[in-house]
Formats: sequence, structure tokens, C-alpha cells
Amino acid sequence: MASLGELERTLMDRLWAAAGPISAPELQAELADRGLALTTVHTVLSRLEQKGFVVHDDRRPRRFAPRATREAHAAELMHEVLGQAGDRQAALARFVGSVDAEDAAMLRELLGGGTAAGPDATGVR
Amino acid sequence: MLPATALALGVLAALLAWPVPAALARARWPRRDPLAALVCWQAIGLAGGLAIIGALLVHGLAPWGHSLPEAWWHWVTRQPSAEPVRGDHWVAQTLAAVLTLELLGVLALSGVRTARTRRRHRALLELLVRPGASSGERASAEETLLLDHPAPVAFCIPGARPLLVLSSGMVAELDGAQLDAVVAHERAHLREHHHLLLLPFVAWRAALPVLPAADRAHDGVRDLVEMRADDVALRSLSGPDPRRTLAVAIVAAAGGAGGQVPEGALAVTGGPVAVRVRRLLAPADPLPTRARWAALASAVALLLVPTLLLLLPALL
Repeated sequence: MASLGELERTLMDRLWAAAGPISAPELQAELADRGLALTTVHTVLSRLEQKGFVVHDDRRPRRFAPRATREAHAAELMHEVLGQAGDRQAALARFVGSVDAEDAAMLRELLGGGTAAGPDATGVR
Repeated sequence: MLPATALALGVLAALLAWPVPAALARARWPRRDPLAALVCWQAIGLAGGLAIIGALLVHGLAPWGHSLPEAWWHWVTRQPSAEPVRGDHWVAQTLAAVLTLELLGVLALSGVRTARTRRRHRALLELLVRPGASSGERASAEETLLLDHPAPVAFCIPGARPLLVLSSGMVAELDGAQLDAVVAHERAHLREHHHLLLLPFVAWRAALPVLPAADRAHDGVRDLVEMRADDVALRSLSGPDPRRTLAVAIVAAAGGAGGQVPEGALAVTGGPVAVRVRRLLAPADPLPTRARWAALASAVALLLVPTLLLLLPALL
């Protein structure tokens, strides 16, 4: 039995791959090899809709489409991770914050002080 | 008895609102012992709130009794005050109530907002990334995800099911030992629940924008948890020079995304990233045991003083 997250990912992949909006029965038919019930497809679609990843139109039967492309979602996430403004700072712990070009050069110089190695040739191992 | 208590608490609150955080933010010993310094910051935050609210309460309830517990009980049970109640008593009471509600409310709000952001990040990640893409032999409590993005980024999302995320740019830029260092650093954040140490300071900076100490305390705690995570990571790393390995990883991660990010949290030369790299490459001696205990004892004392000031008069 596949997990709900796995099903959500599979359905989103289909929606992203589809040429246009697509109805739940069509999705079910496309995923025939997985043997999903139509109610399952509807459940997963409404979960995706609640999370804001999917929108539907007013036709009958309803047709579903992704709200944004995969790339747009990835860009949105990275923007928040890299920007980390205000209260977002508490939401995740990033390994290193960003620094400007001048500081980056200074940091590399700091490293160079120890041995002659640059940032790529680390002298480790 | 009461006016003296209120005055003492007020003085303590004033000390904790400005000179004490300023001194701790300026001090250099915290980089030698981030953990002890983190305990001190938490104590300053708690004791400061306790002192200012306590001072207002003690003054506001003065007409009802000679000690705070007694006066509080008389006030709650709606007994008539022993002395005439003046306007400044009402003002102090109101201020105490407003401040308490604001501090606790903002903390709750900040917690809820943070949890919502995390949930959204997690949902996005689960949709974009197939789990197990990179975890490989690094089996552990948290799930490791490989996010397809050129910028070298690593972060973790704390919570009941923590997520550790590495970007493909990070994996491409670093060798195996350096990646291990990054993962060990993020794991230290998760294991020691650093997000909980930081949360009150994020909230109170938002609640008290006019107080420079709130800013200082937040930045201090934010930088110290990074140093603490570096220290913990070093313990689990093998290899000939783990300090240098971690430093190289930090520089690679900091330099890679530079320039593209308009709102970098760190912009000043010699900022926290440089401090981290310096203390890795040229480590100062760890704080002597006696100094460490002195720091921890001061933190405990900071908490005890307002508590005793509030409760002792009832026992005398």
C-alpha cells in the first residue's frame, strides 16, 4: 500500500505532465496499473487542493490542473530558504546564511591562511 | 516593604533591558563556550520579563497588601484595599496585564506562524522530492532529501518528523567528508532543539521593536546556536582535520549563493560567518571550568533574584 505522500506525488507528476486540465476519472484511467479507486483519486486531489497545489474548473466532471509548475514551486521554496526574512528565521535552520561577494572573498582568504589550499583543494585526506 | 521591592525589580528590569544584554553581546567569551552563553541569554530573557512585570504588579497591587502573594489574593477575592488606590496603581496594573498578554500572545502567535511555515515547506518538499534520493547509508532519525537546485544550500526543518535537506548544488560543490560535516551540523541543531532556544527571541524582537536589547539578544542567540552546532558536529567527525573540513564547507556554502540574494541575513564584513570560520581555524582555548560554572551560576542567580524579590516579603 503506497503512502498518501507517495500518491500525492504521483498524481502531481501526472498533472504536471498533462497537456491541460484533466478530470479525476481520466487520472484514474492513466494510473490504471496502480488500481486506485476513484474515491481515492478524489481524496488525494482534494488534499492537494487544500495545500494549494491544485486548482479545478467548473465543468462537469471537474477538471484539475496544477496551480504552478514544478519549477515555480521549487523556486518559491528556495526563495524563502535563501531570503529567510523576519519570522521565517525560526522556521528552518540553514547551514550558512548568505554573504555578499566581498565577504565571500574575505572568507576564502581566511581559509587560504591555514595552508596553501584553495576552497576546492582542501588538503583534507 | 512593597515600594522597595518594586524599586529593586524596576532597577533589575532596567539593567536587563540594556546594559546586561549589551555587555553579553560585546563579550568575547561566548564564542569559547556557546552553550553557557546560550543559557545566560535564556536567563536574561526570562528574568527581564519577570522583573518588569513583577515591578508593575507589585506597585499596582500595593494598596491591597504588604507582599505580592498576599496583595494578589486580596485583589483576586475582591477584598477592599487597605490603602486608597491612586491612578498610578491602576496604570501599573493595566501595564502589567498588557505586557503579560503581549509577550505571551506574540510568543504563541510566532509559534503558530512558524509551525505553519514549516508545514508548507514540508508539503512543498514532499511534493518536489522523492524520499530516499540521497539518504544512502546515512540512516538516522531524520529524513534526508536531495533538492534539485544549483545554489549550495543545506537546511533542516525541525519538528516531530525532522527533515534534512541538501541541494544538488551543495552535493556537487563538496566532497564526502565536507558533506558529512554539513549533515553533522544540521543534526546537532535538530538533536539539541535549537529552534526552541531561538523562538522566544524571534517573538520578543517582534513584540518589542523599540528595545535594542531584543535585537541584540536575538542576533546573539542566532549566532551562538550556529557555533554550538559547529562544536557538536566536530565531535562526531573523523578525518585528519575536521575543523578545516567544516570551515571549508561553510565558506563554500556562504560564497556560492552570494550576490543573488537580496535579503541576506548577514551582510557586514566580519559578520557571524567569518566569526564561525575564524573560531574553527584558530580555536581559542575552551572556557576554564571555573569560568563556565561562574557563567551558569550567574544565569541561575538572574532567575532567582526576581523570584525571591516577589516571594520573600510574604515569608518575612
